[in-house]
Amino acid sequence: MAPVFAGGDACAARGAGDPVSEARWRRYVRFVRPNIAADVDDELAFHVAMRIERNRSLGMMPDEARRDALSRFGDVDAVRRALVSHDQRRQAAEGRREYFMQFLQDVRFGLRALRRAPGFALATTLTLALCIGANAAIFSVIHAVVLRPLPYAHPEQLMSVGTGAAGEFLALAVRLRSFSRFAAWVEQTHPIDDGQEALRVEGAAITPDLLPTLGVSPVIGRGFTDDEAQPGRNNVLLISEAIWRQHFGEVQNIVGKKILVEGVPHTIVGVMPSDFHFPNATTQYWQPLAFNPANVGATWAVWDKKIIARVAPGVSIARAQREVREVWPSLRSLNPLWDPGPDYRRDAAPAPLRDDVVGATGRLLWILFGCVLLVLLVGCVNVANLLLARATAREREFSVRAALGGGRARLIRQLVTESLLLAVLGGSLGVALSVAGVRWLVAVMPPGIPRTDEISVSGTVLLFTLGVALVTGLLFGIVPALRATQQARTGSSVDLGRRTSHGRHHHRVASVLVTTELALAVLLVVGATLLVRSFAALRAVNLGFDASHVIAARLTPPNGRYADSGKVSAFYDGVVDRLAGMRGVTNVAIADKLPMAQAVWGIAIRVQGQFEDNKHELPAIGHLQQVSPGYFQTMRIPVVRGRTFSAADRMGQPPVTIVSQSVARRYWPNEDPIGKRVAPPWDAPYMTIIGVVADTKQDSLRDTARTSIYLPWAQRTAFAGSEMWVMVRSASDPAPLAAAIRATVRDLDRTVAVSDVRTMDAVVSRSIRGTRFTVLLVGAFAIAALLLGAIGIYGVMSYLVGQRTTEMGIRMALGASVAAVIGLIVGRAARVAALGVAGGIIGALFATRWLGSLLYEVSATDPVTFVAVPLLFLVVAVAASYAPARRATRIDPVRALRAE
Amino acid sequence: MTIRPDSGDLLQGTLGILILKALLPGAAHGYAIARWIEETTDDVLRIEEGSLYPALRRLEDRTWVSSEWGISENNRRARFYTITAAGRKHLRNEAAVWLRYSQAVTRVLRAAPAIP
Repeated sequence: MAPVFAGGDACAARGAGDPVSEARWRRYVRFVRPNIAADVDDELAFHVAMRIERNRSLGMMPDEARRDALSRFGDVDAVRRALVSHDQRRQAAEGRREYFMQFLQDVRFGLRALRRAPGFALATTLTLALCIGANAAIFSVIHAVVLRPLPYAHPEQLMSVGTGAAGEFLALAVRLRSFSRFAAWVEQTHPIDDGQEALRVEGAAITPDLLPTLGVSPVIGRGFTDDEAQPGRNNVLLISEAIWRQHFGEVQNIVGKKILVEGVPHTIVGVMPSDFHFPNATTQYWQPLAFNPANVGATWAVWDKKIIARVAPGVSIARAQREVREVWPSLRSLNPLWDPGPDYRRDAAPAPLRDDVVGATGRLLWILFGCVLLVLLVGCVNVANLLLARATAREREFSVRAALGGGRARLIRQLVTESLLLAVLGGSLGVALSVAGVRWLVAVMPPGIPRTDEISVSGTVLLFTLGVALVTGLLFGIVPALRATQQARTGSSVDLGRRTSHGRHHHRVASVLVTTELALAVLLVVGATLLVRSFAALRAVNLGFDASHVIAARLTPPNGRYADSGKVSAFYDGVVDRLAGMRGVTNVAIADKLPMAQAVWGIAIRVQGQFEDNKHELPAIGHLQQVSPGYFQTMRIPVVRGRTFSAADRMGQPPVTIVSQSVARRYWPNEDPIGKRVAPPWDAPYMTIIGVVADTKQDSLRDTARTSIYLPWAQRTAFAGSEMWVMVRSASDPAPLAAAIRATVRDLDRTVAVSDVRTMDAVVSRSIRGTRFTVLLVGAFAIAALLLGAIGIYGVMSYLVGQRTTEMGIRMALGASVAAVIGLIVGRAARVAALGVAGGIIGALFATRWLGSLLYEVSATDPVTFVAVPLLFLVVAVAASYAPARRATRIDPVRALRAE
Repeated sequence: MTIRPDSGDLLQGTLGILILKALLPGAAHGYAIARWIEETTDDVLRIEEGSLYPALRRLEDRTWVSSEWGISENNRRARFYTITAAGRKHLRNEAAVWLRYSQAVTRVLRAAPAIP
């Protein structure tokens, strides 16, 4: 027979073989998987063959019979193709429908099963909701702060070049080739007066190129022109949408309106979009950054300009970084004031702007995310254990199903559907929890985390949560499902007895799960313990000053009204006099900086007899502070040698200075530093050292001994703004003095803004809010993991005791003591715990390295932690297994045996 | 050639009715249906036998017939079609419509004046 049908070899073969056995064989094949094309071929071939047979019986010759049959049939190939495609479509539709019906059935069945075990359902759903909710909350923060692209045009091209002096910025702008745009900015804060109240408002001075560099323009008005970046012409402002709303009632004709900054009228030229938060969420206005190259000191000695740039098209970030690292150190010879030394700008670290914005926060958040993922894993393992125990309890149900012909795959699918159901329930509840969690996180988050205003449970977060829920569902569902169905198949006969021989096997799997769980928990608890110990070490640090009973406030007189130095002195003298006269006040002082409250900056100095020449590398002092005579008494900074400033150290008198112990030790190790002379790098007279005071923590509690130099504020020359801090020491609680400080200043001059009124204790604890936040979260995660671990051990041991009731009964009957039985169970728990702890410790030895900079005076392999935590876990394991062990001793041997 | 749902086309509908009628006595394979139509109409309605099968699929999709594999009278594997209860009902309705229609046409054609 010629091959009429494509794929018609089957019918050719059938012509030769035994048609019946062939058909039978195909029926079996079909049982596995229907072969649509072959079926269609069979059906059509049968028709044609029958017609040929009839034609032959009517007397036709074979050839004619065949021709006639085919012509009666028509276009065989077309019919065949139509039938095959139709049948395939029908089969697919049926498959889908069947799958969906089974799924619905599984869901219905699963819901029913959960309703029958409300305790189990509640425990698993809550565990999952907490774990998934915590994950979604932390992920929300990561998504907003770290993952979301910066809200600027082509943010991937933006780079933070570094921080330097105005002269360096101008020189770099000319020399660097990798960038299409180049801009600088510096944060500034000024009192702004809307006629009602003097407010200290954060803003930024920006070069006119900054907005085009970011690719942002004002919603109303215009950006700055190059002309406005000239000194004296920069009395123009861009204001935030918030100021526009709160102070100007959103009027459209805002451009051209005036506002008092530092008591000087500034003209508003535009309003920035509400989502423009550069450089911070608190930035409320922008002013042109004016350079005055004639002022050499301001141009070269003030290293505070932050430089950002947009990489030119076609230039890679890496190449741009390389160019900056090569070019910047080559500017060493440009400094007209002093030689900055061979290490000049060797540490230049240009980075993508996003890294600069996200910075250390990103690292911290990823660590938190790692911790919360560990908690989720521990939670999953716990739920898996619960499911496993439950599956064992349902062994009879599975055996019956298997016996009735329920396939293993089908059974697994049903169990996985049940666990997915739990995951989705837990996930939905978790999303609700995460909304509350995100709100709480934003509230307790330390200041300085960028982009916090953008944190919310967004669509991406929901998608993430859905993913987490599904993955966890599979994770904790698949193992118990495999285990349970395996038992159902091996125990192929319907086992109607209560106990089966699979208990031991189950116990082994459960033990492995609990071991894993404990290992993960140990990892977390070790990390948390290291952080807590660091935090304790940080709290115990010697500040070098006495923070108790001191309250401080920042006073910002408007420069416009206080251009005259004598007027500034008169104002602060008035403030100090009035506050000192108050009841309960023991000391009052003013200083240009407050420890722990702001960034610290220092100065290079000339040292008479050692480093006198401007052209040599000068010693750098880490911290410069200009203070009033009462400062050291008010802050109770111990005086090591000599005296402190007095009222006599004023303008016109010989210039004097006080240095910290570390300065004295470094430059006059074997001499008396009193009477030695130092000077700033520019042309200024030498100052005589009159005293040596203790080192203090200035920047943060982590500060290593920072060299400090103190100048009398009364002899101030350069860099003395009118903004000062006032510190008041009182005999009792200083907090109530806040109102008195505000009232005193308002009474003297209502245009002076008072801000940041806080007790020193509050200032210090604010400085470690970030660390506290981390410790709090990681600690909470660790406690959760510890509890889950304890629950895991308790569950497995309870199950073990339940499984081995008979054995325990027999042991008791044979005279085993209570202690022996308890020892048996508890020993078993201890063995499982020991394994888990060992695994966790090994993991922790590797993982705690990531904590690195978060640790303070505690090594990442701190022996105390690495001994205490394992012990804690062993105790917890023993405690968690004690209740099941007691239960074992109360087994009545007779009843236990009878039950069998 | 694709199989579309019954479009109500006269010929397609007619073929369906013929098939359903052919299945009334009992299950039959496609060739038997073709032979039944051939003999019953004395080969007047020459249908293309290949078109039977798409028609059968359409009837199956509408649940008027069902099919299963079986062994033919000469011991070969064949697909047998059976009319369902729904199929019988449909056949009854369609046959009534068809008969009324053909009677009406017959009456018109027989009315005076006679066709020459």
